[in-house]
Amino acid sequence: MEVERELVEAAQAGDRLALEELVRRTHRSVYTCALRLVGNPDDAADVTQDVYLRVVRKLGGFRHEASFATWLNRVTTNVAMSTLKRRTRRFAVEGAAVPADTRDPAPDPAERAEAVALARRLERLVAELPEGQRQVLVLRDVYGQSTEEVANAMGLTPGAVKVRLFRARERLKAELEAVEGGQVVALAGRRRSSGRRS
Amino acid sequence: MMSCHSIRPLLPARAEELTPFQARTRADHVATCSRCATEAAAYSRLGQALTVMANLEADPADGTLERILVAIGRRRTRVTDPRVLAAAGSAGALVATVVVARAVRQRRQSRRPNTRRLHLPSLPIPSPALARAK
Repeated sequence: MEVERELVEAAQAGDRLALEELVRRTHRSVYTCALRLVGNPDDAADVTQDVYLRVVRKLGGFRHEASFATWLNRVTTNVAMSTLKRRTRRFAVEGAAVPADTRDPAPDPAERAEAVALARRLERLVAELPEGQRQVLVLRDVYGQSTEEVANAMGLTPGAVKVRLFRARERLKAELEAVEGGQVVALAGRRRSSGRRS
Repeated sequence: MMSCHSIRPLLPARAEELTPFQARTRADHVATCSRCATEAAAYSRLGQALTVMANLEADPADGTLERILVAIGRRRTRVTDPRVLAAAGSAGALVATVVVARAVRQRRQSRRPNTRRLHLPSLPIPSPALARAK
């Protein structure tokens, strides 16, 4: 998500069209972050709307000390966490759509394709993590927030964040290896059977 | 050198999450232990893939964007649009002025004796006086 400073400043100055453009450009990213945190599409859509209502209120106070994307990410985290405190519903992982890649093309298409394929596989595995582990992992490892920021957002101690993070990474690695191991076994099986046929 | 058991909790950590001593201990161990080196490489690959996830975007349901634009439009009009606020302020001031002016006028009228509307009863003129006048 890249947003020019001029666009943000125009929106801050009250330019309605600039604000709409800002929403158009960033709403998918906000929705995706919300979906990863709250876990179901309906709640994620509600969080996304609440994020922009808060953005309208707080945009005047944004001083460009961090990037707009970072600021928006923090707002999304806070709104999502507030929503989760209000709602204790568990979400259905099956309904979560696998996000599409919007990053600029990497120099090496093969490497890039492999990284994106792995990230897509991970998206499903991350969604299946226990809620507390998933949120910590998403904020720290996907969005790069510091341990202290994650602790503040989630109302945890930094120590508790580290414990959850360790467990989430350990579990995710094991599940990824199981999935990839299964794929390797299945692929070997297909090769064996096709070899027998030919 | 530390055992694999002692190093294991350090393997999932990113470099910046370790103290310099922990980072050196892990690096020394991984350099000589192929099993822990494989584990460390798997965590490193996982970390890179999680970073790539930040660039993946899901599509919200149809109508989500429109709903957001309507919601923020309503909020802006209600709270922050200076033109609307100015118009609403002017209209409110006008209405308040008219109401106050009418109230003041009514109050003044109720205090002042209303001579213009005072009607004297039409008294009958006695007939001798009428004859004298003629």
